[in-house]
Amino acid sequence: MNGFLMVVALVLPVLAGLMVGFVPQIGLHRKTRSIFVGAALALQCLIVVLIALGGEKTVVILHLSENLPIALRSDTLGVIFSLIMTAMWTASAFFAFSYMTHEKNEKTYYAFFMMTLGVLMALCFAATLVTMYLFFEAVTLLSLELVLHERTKESIAASIKYLIYSVAGATMGLLGIFFLVPNTTSSYFVLGGSLNVEALTVAPSALLGVLFLTIVGFSTKAGMFPMHGWLPTAHPVAPSPASAVLSGVITKAGVICVIRVIYYSVGVEFLRGTWVQMALLTLATVTVFMGSMMALNESLLKKRLAFSSVSQVSYILCGLFLFDRTALTGALLHVIFHALIKDGLFLFAGAVIFKTGYTYVDQLKGLGRKMPVVFLCFTILSLGLIGIPPTGGFISKWYIAEGAIAGLSHFPVPVFTWLVPAILLISALLTAGYLLPVSITGFFSQPDEEASQAKLNEVCEPCRLMTVPLIILTLAVVFLGVFPNLMIDIFDSLAALLV
Amino acid sequence: MLIFAVLFPMAAGALFPLFRFKEDKSRGLYVMAVVLITSAVALPQIILGTAAREILFQITETLPIAFRLDGVGRIFAGIVAVLWPLSSLYALEYMQHEKNLDAFFSFYTICFGVTLGIACASNLMTLYLFYELMTLITLPLVMHGGSQRSVRAGLKYLYYSIGGAALAFIGLVYVIYYGGTTEFAYGGVSVFTAGQTEHNMRIGYLICFFGFGVKAAVFPLHDWLPDASVAPTPVTALLHAVAVVKSGVFAIIRITWFTFAPALLAGTFAQYIPLALCVFTIVYGCTMALKEQNLKRRLAYSTVSNLSYILFGALLMTSQGLRGGLMHMVYHAVMKITLFLCAGVYLQKGVEYVQDMRGLHRAMPVATAVFALGSLAMTGIPPLLGFGSKWALAEAAVFEGGLLPVAGIVALVISATLTAFYLIIPSVSTYVSRGVKAYAPGELSSGWKALSPLLIISLVMMFFSFWPMLLTDFITYAAAGGL
Repeated sequence: MNGFLMVVALVLPVLAGLMVGFVPQIGLHRKTRSIFVGAALALQCLIVVLIALGGEKTVVILHLSENLPIALRSDTLGVIFSLIMTAMWTASAFFAFSYMTHEKNEKTYYAFFMMTLGVLMALCFAATLVTMYLFFEAVTLLSLELVLHERTKESIAASIKYLIYSVAGATMGLLGIFFLVPNTTSSYFVLGGSLNVEALTVAPSALLGVLFLTIVGFSTKAGMFPMHGWLPTAHPVAPSPASAVLSGVITKAGVICVIRVIYYSVGVEFLRGTWVQMALLTLATVTVFMGSMMALNESLLKKRLAFSSVSQVSYILCGLFLFDRTALTGALLHVIFHALIKDGLFLFAGAVIFKTGYTYVDQLKGLGRKMPVVFLCFTILSLGLIGIPPTGGFISKWYIAEGAIAGLSHFPVPVFTWLVPAILLISALLTAGYLLPVSITGFFSQPDEEASQAKLNEVCEPCRLMTVPLIILTLAVVFLGVFPNLMIDIFDSLAALLV
Repeated sequence: MLIFAVLFPMAAGALFPLFRFKEDKSRGLYVMAVVLITSAVALPQIILGTAAREILFQITETLPIAFRLDGVGRIFAGIVAVLWPLSSLYALEYMQHEKNLDAFFSFYTICFGVTLGIACASNLMTLYLFYELMTLITLPLVMHGGSQRSVRAGLKYLYYSIGGAALAFIGLVYVIYYGGTTEFAYGGVSVFTAGQTEHNMRIGYLICFFGFGVKAAVFPLHDWLPDASVAPTPVTALLHAVAVVKSGVFAIIRITWFTFAPALLAGTFAQYIPLALCVFTIVYGCTMALKEQNLKRRLAYSTVSNLSYILFGALLMTSQGLRGGLMHMVYHAVMKITLFLCAGVYLQKGVEYVQDMRGLHRAMPVATAVFALGSLAMTGIPPLLGFGSKWALAEAAVFEGGLLPVAGIVALVISATLTAFYLIIPSVSTYVSRGVKAYAPGELSSGWKALSPLLIISLVMMFFSFWPMLLTDFITYAAAGGL
């Protein structure tokens, strides 16, 4: 049953997207289309929940050759990612029903929006490296439309940049897949990896180099230095609900691929303490710090949020590269919290743009008093991202930092032991530095010019389709921050199997 | 029957001047009839296999001109026999406004027989004979446009090919002198693997490799190929993506695996030098393709790169590698001909450069869709065709280990990335960008004769993407020396 449901989880959104795209009765009429997309997403949520409850099953879709199955498997990791992705997708879609009314060509937007969800589901459930690669590429190609939706020169240039980085990253990943499949004992993912260390066909040093490139390649989607360049360009030019899923969800597509390669194919023991781990940790911590600094420096709100994603997703990667049980739990927690928070923050930016057209932080003066709900949500989400208890971000960062200290205690280069936690903490402070001024400007400043004062008087809260998803996300961050135990139990027992 | 399949189109093509067709229609019927009869005769033998060895005549007692189909030959002959009728149909539509059609189709038809002759050759002597013939027959096709550019391209093609053929001839002499027979046998002729002449033989192989390497467009012998893309598109599509260049590759597979022995060559300079050149060519071709703005020249450079994929596989000297190479030989033929046929459709409507493709999907929805599909396949997005062969090649190289095979895998990956840049980005731009001029919907759509080969080939492409075993099982068998 679960095998069938996984195929449905892939096919249903793709089919829904195609119908929006090609059936004029559905695609062209706004109300029908919204109901159709909403219903499809509700059904999709139901299916993903059913898969989560149904236990682990494997289904083979196609054989590329005898030992190259294209297969899906509903394992714990896949279920975790698919649940959060579908939830975020739904929130963004309901926001978009109202937001996209001021954009052109809504039909195409929803068509590709839905299809991207379908291939993302398949990416989560991918049971082999090749399946993962296939759907990774598909995610890139389909989400391209979301970036270039506005068809301006700027967005086309951004989408080409996105394409170039992503394809380069994916083929770097493919390089590793070429080497891993003949050198692993199982063609499927195995908890803890299945590298055939005794009988490698290539020198271990060469394999390490290849694996480094592979992980950096898949980290492209997660925006890790030096492959981060596309993210701050591509995310802000998309319509806000699309930026929300690009930043909150699609970056996690890179994260899951990295987890699959390190923890499900290679196994941490082969990499522990090598130069590869050191180099990856260095890159991730550099990105954490660099992203925050760039965000601090940026006055365009959506771009600031994009830089923030660069930094925050590298927290997750940092947790993954520590090869430690606690850190891995923290990374998985941060996947959830960052998805919720960054989705919410971009929806906030969308709400502001929809109501006022303002895009720069210093334009927001006094706006908080006119849109208190939206700004309050933003403030709470910001506190979450900074990591102030009782919001969720605190827990995930705590676990990562604790894991860093534990995981690096025997590290060959002692400087990492204190440098990594230190940078994570400094970056948290920087997060406060670039997010809180937005709230402060909104609530406490007065606009300077009379024109903007006059415009301010006309502004009110956006409609419920916009505020409700934002409120739900905020409540979720707080609720999961106060009651994290269920999640922690699941993630911790998964992490115990992987490390 | 092999003799018939080889000689019939040659004879029918040579008889063209007798008929002096007045009408396009009757000429078209004649060409299609000849091509279809030949394919109909050839295909059953290719599919079912035949052990018969047919001798045309004897040059000397030990040097017969003879035909025989083995596994590898069946693969090449199969590609040719399937793709020729389709691109002939396309050529009839494409060329209808050109001059001198009798000459064009005469050579186009003769070339079919010659290519089958190469595929079915039972020994190196026969292969060499038809290989030379091919150069001469295709030359007028390259020059068909008559412009100064095409004449110059033709001459360049001629000089390169004759030079290559001269080297190949020296290799042939080596084979006759040391081996006594030029007959093909899987795993090479046993005489070569022992004795004091090994070193000489390896040198002979290298000379031969560079000789046939001209048509296979190995760096630094590749330069004629991009220039030759000035020829009419049916010629570029069929000859410079399939028949001519694959003959070069096929000849190298023949000398490596069926004349000189892999056992003789593996692990020596005679393997390393060609292998290193191929690895370099893979990256070089792609880089040049990225730089090139003329669409047909870009595709030609892409061919340069892809031919070296095939050679890389064959030169790994393992049957797994040969399998990957043969797979890419088939897949590349299908994919590249699709892209070239699209490029031809574009060119007819005045779209010659990559930047002209912007916003084109409105004007010609079918061709741009097929082009996009072909681009994805060339890049190797699974489960489309290109992925399977790249996978097979990389897998073989991983099992081989060693410096050059690993370098080869890195080259494959770099090349895949660059392929995405030079093909997928233009494809995307056909859908999103606004060009210099705004097209009306369906403004530039073409006739069914031009579009139906496109659609048929892309259907074939999709079919083998999802059911590759039908083909790969046979290729595995052929690469292991099966008939």
